[in-house]
Amino acid sequence: MKNNIKVYRAMHNLTQEALASELGVTRQTILAIEKGKYDPSLELAFKIARFFGVHLEDIFMFGEK
Amino acid sequence: MKHNTFYLIAGIVGLIEVGLFWLSVEWRNPFLIMGGFIIGILILYALWRTVTDLKMDERALLISEKAKSRTLEVFWVLFFAVSLGTAVFGFATPLRIPHGPPPPGMNVTSLPHDLPVERPFLGYIGIVQLILLVSLIFLYLGFRIYYARKYGDWDEDEE
Repeated sequence: MKNNIKVYRAMHNLTQEALASELGVTRQTILAIEKGKYDPSLELAFKIARFFGVHLEDIFMFGEK
Repeated sequence: MKHNTFYLIAGIVGLIEVGLFWLSVEWRNPFLIMGGFIIGILILYALWRTVTDLKMDERALLISEKAKSRTLEVFWVLFFAVSLGTAVFGFATPLRIPHGPPPPGMNVTSLPHDLPVERPFLGYIGIVQLILLVSLIFLYLGFRIYYARKYGDWDEDEE
C-alpha cells in the first residue's frame, strides 16, 4: 500500500519524530510506513488521516505496492 | 525504571541463578534451583512492568508476535524430533530385572552386555531439554532480527 505521509509531513513541516510523538508511536514506525515496509493498523491509519485533517484515501492508496 | 537498569538487574538475577544451580548440584537438591528460577522470573516480570522508557507500539508488537509464533512453529518440530530420538533409547533398553539373589551357580561378577548400566537418565533428559531451550532462545532471536529487518527496524533515516 502506497502512502503520501511524507508529502503531508513536509506540508506541515513536521519531522518523523514529531509526527511519531503526536501519534504515540516510534519514529521507526513512521519511517517504516513511509517506506512501505509496514502497513499501519486501521486505527493508526485513521489517526494519521485525522491528524492531517484529510480523508484516509488522500493518504493511503489501496492496491498499490 | 530505565530499561538499561532492568537489563543490569536481569544480569545480576542470571548470575544468582547460576549460583543457585551450582548450590543445587552441590547439595543434590533440585528444588532449590527450581524454586529460585521461578522466583527470579517473577521478579523480572514485576520489574519489567516498571520500565517506562521503552515504547512498544503496534509495529513493535507485530514484530514480537510474528517472531514468537514462527519460533513455536519451528520449535515444536525440533522438540518432537529430539523427543522421538530420545524415546528410542527408552524403548531400546531391556526391561529392568528386579534385583534379587543370583541363581545358584551363576557368576555375578559381570553383567551381560545387553543389560543397561545404571546412568542418571533423568539428568541427561534435563541436559537435552536445556539444549532445546537454548535453541528456542536462538530461534526467537533469529526470527526477531528477521522480522525487525522486514518491518524496517534498521532502515536509514532520510531526514
